[in-house]
Amino acid sequence: MDRKTIFTELKKVLAPYTENKEMLDGISEETDLIRDLKINSANLVDIIIDAESQYNIEIDFDSAEKMYKVGSCIDVIIDKMNQSA
Amino acid sequence: MKSAGNDIVALRSVDKQRTSQFRFYSKILSALEQALYHQPQFAEIPFENYVWLLWSVKESAYKYLKRTIPGLVFSPTKIIIQHIEIPVGPLINKFEGIQWESNGYSEEFYRGKVIYGSHTFYFRSKISEEWIATVVNNNENFENVWWGIQSIDDAGYYHQSKAVRTLLLNKLNSFFPGDLQVEKNPVGYPVILKDLEDLHIPVSLAHDDRFVAYSFILNPLNNS
Repeated sequence: MDRKTIFTELKKVLAPYTENKEMLDGISEETDLIRDLKINSANLVDIIIDAESQYNIEIDFDSAEKMYKVGSCIDVIIDKMNQSA
Repeated sequence: MKSAGNDIVALRSVDKQRTSQFRFYSKILSALEQALYHQPQFAEIPFENYVWLLWSVKESAYKYLKRTIPGLVFSPTKIIIQHIEIPVGPLINKFEGIQWESNGYSEEFYRGKVIYGSHTFYFRSKISEEWIATVVNNNENFENVWWGIQSIDDAGYYHQSKAVRTLLLNKLNSFFPGDLQVEKNPVGYPVILKDLEDLHIPVSLAHDDRFVAYSFILNPLNNS
């Protein structure tokens, strides 16, 4: 699965936790989930759990703490998918 | 360096079923904190309240630390609650009216000790039927720690943000009459300006759903 596909799918994962859905259309890999998308920090755990379910992966603590930007979320997902392949 | 840290969790927005799943709560609670819940003193506290109580303590400690460690990333399982005492009074308080304020020490609070690396903090928390709120401090004496909570009508982000600033500034105006502003510094924590000068008051802001909360450190006797 390529980076572009995960980027597109990640928007759907983020959507339930993003108040302003229109902002999702303009995101880039540099978009910060809390600062830019105004996602409540308590929902970061939901996003990690949803990503685990979506890609059938397990995201450990050290990896989870990197998932605060769209690009770093994609990095972690690709890394964990490669590990479980 | 003095700092401030607080948090509020709106219980209406908590997904009880998801909170009770191991793969969810194990990303928030350390193994020791999971074991701590089985102590008799927590028998009457629902598990979801326990999880989000500890979350609010960890988030508050993170905010406190962020002022002194700007590059810090929030990692809940690395901020460890070592000790919790439950209130002498009711475990869940009624939130009557739209606003609640406090400062100093009271036995009505959940209280305890939280550790991050070599840093030690103390917390005070309050649980109502609608929210869990926490404030942390770097010593057990909370006499100059002020905190307040208010319910709001609109849970939209920009309304929350405006409402929490208004709540804080109304309180600070009782100590500092005049035109006050809240700005965010580049690290992301709030600073209070009066006539464009930083008052150097450590403040912390939080909001979730229909609730907003502030905390700050101020000794009124040193303020004249």
